[in-house]
Amino acid sequence: MKKLSKWSVLYLGIVFVILYAPIFYLIFYSFNSGGTMHDFDSFTFDWYKELFQDTRLLIIVLNTVIIALLSAAISTIIGVLGSISISMMRKKGIRNSILSLNNVLIVSPDVIIGASFLIFFTIIGIKLGFFSVLLSHIAFSIPIVVIMVLPKLEEMSPTLVDAALDLGASWKDVLTKVIIPYISPGIFAGFFMALTYSLDDFAVTFFVTGNGFTTLSVEIYSLARRGISLNINALSTLLFLFTLLLVIGYYFITQRVNKASQAGVRK
Amino acid sequence: MKSLIRSLIVIFALSFILLFIVHQLNSSRGYTSGNTLTVYNWGDYIDADLITKFEEETGIKVIYETFDSNEAMMTKIQQGGTSYDIAIPSEYMIDKMKEEDLLIPIDHAKVPNLKNIDSRFMDLSFDPDNKYSIPYFWGTVGIVYNPAMLNGKEITSWNDLWDKDLKNEIMLIDGAREIMGMSLNSLHYSLNDKDHEHLKEAKEKLDTLTPNVKAIVGDEIRMLIENGEASIGVLWSGMAAEIMWENEEVEYVVPEEGSNLWFDNMVIPKTAKNIDGAHQFINFMLDAENAAQNTEYVGYSTPNKAAMEFLPEDITGDERFYPDEEMTSKLEVYENLGHRSLAEYNDLFLEFKMHRK
Repeated sequence: MKKLSKWSVLYLGIVFVILYAPIFYLIFYSFNSGGTMHDFDSFTFDWYKELFQDTRLLIIVLNTVIIALLSAAISTIIGVLGSISISMMRKKGIRNSILSLNNVLIVSPDVIIGASFLIFFTIIGIKLGFFSVLLSHIAFSIPIVVIMVLPKLEEMSPTLVDAALDLGASWKDVLTKVIIPYISPGIFAGFFMALTYSLDDFAVTFFVTGNGFTTLSVEIYSLARRGISLNINALSTLLFLFTLLLVIGYYFITQRVNKASQAGVRK
Repeated sequence: MKSLIRSLIVIFALSFILLFIVHQLNSSRGYTSGNTLTVYNWGDYIDADLITKFEEETGIKVIYETFDSNEAMMTKIQQGGTSYDIAIPSEYMIDKMKEEDLLIPIDHAKVPNLKNIDSRFMDLSFDPDNKYSIPYFWGTVGIVYNPAMLNGKEITSWNDLWDKDLKNEIMLIDGAREIMGMSLNSLHYSLNDKDHEHLKEAKEKLDTLTPNVKAIVGDEIRMLIENGEASIGVLWSGMAAEIMWENEEVEYVVPEEGSNLWFDNMVIPKTAKNIDGAHQFINFMLDAENAAQNTEYVGYSTPNKAAMEFLPEDITGDERFYPDEEMTSKLEVYENLGHRSLAEYNDLFLEFKMHRK
């Protein structure tokens, strides 16, 4: 890689400062004993202690993580199968229309999706709570997984599949030993995108929560009227560290997958 | 493929472990028992200790959920899906909920502590005879200002805001009723005025305020004033109280021309399953000691006259938040304007906002 010029390094630096400054600002004040986001008094862990003593908030955080993990995993499975079938479609017209339908769901506003889910669930009589939130998160994550996985499938040469078939592989083998290993970077990317979407979604989730089941974003929004206390800062700090760990994990997984595919080994 | 499957198994296993933990936490708090009461309130709008106390006294477990706007709350209740037993909307929403037939009348015989509520706050236009609602907290719309930033200048009336010295100093809350009401009040009209000419006059007066207006903002107004970004703000007393906790330089005043009186009220929505428990909860919250404890935690003004005895003098004696009878007689509750007039308020306010640039 060519060495970056001084100006581009500076530019990059500025961009990163702008991106990260608010987060570090928030983390910094989570240690403030003063109780506000200005005038740093002295260092304290009180907000973290308060956070862990608040069972209600803890339950909400755990709920949020469970929903994110489950919905991302399930929507990845569905999304991968969906994108494989889309890529195998022969007729271009149908293929394109299905893809556009997929994209419409990505660009359509969350409030509308949320409101329609609310009406849908109440009409068919699903009680609002864990399952309604899980189902709607799966639903809005699938299109995201599809657009993350589809490019990988398109990049794959069709001769790979033909060669495998010629060598006597069954369709099942083609799927598990050729296609899926090839697209696994896309699968991981799709999974992590779905995970973050689920973690921070407010608009859809608000409509479908109920019966004591809430997620973090809904809870934080409802604090807006009375002002947000610093234990939310503490919580955000922990979540930031958590996502950082996820990203590092993601990095190592893709490294391994890449290495494996470079070596031509398909486990 | 193997690594993919392995990751999947790890994810599912992790979620089920977490699910188990949540289940344990929930059952340790007793949520899985049958006798529950679902309360739908604004975020952080009750002292959590009171919920525990209520649970201990009655054996009913409280499921507490929060919302961030009246409109959002109404949508959830309208659709059903969750059996909310108690909700705490603002007064203008109660009118709408009544129209939509979303409320159950409150049986006054079951809430003997109703006698604790100050008669000034009973039987108001949005709910005659308190058939459907019981006041929870109340407040006013007024002006917060920072005398230090204004060289000790004092503000007592709406008309002071039109002072030429206050160029680019004022922040307004983004609410058509609040800001149009301010202008109507400054002209000594009622803030429920429907007269077309009066409204036009009020809007023209607002336009002349434009040079003094720094921004028209939402909830973030609180932080902006706390941090001294602007020296004057027009907002609700509850928000003002919070600003004053953080920034002691700031003052709050209810303008002498009169202003709005707002309420958040406890109601029982149509979705309620535990109606008996809901009455018990309302009665519990109306108890003088409990109301006092809640008031100290939340910091808004309580309509509970009996609770005043349990509150420290520096809270109840504060005329900015507990104005005397004479002042409250000048305050008006928002009335339901009907579709046409409300649209006119909104249009005029929008025109004023656009006029700014």
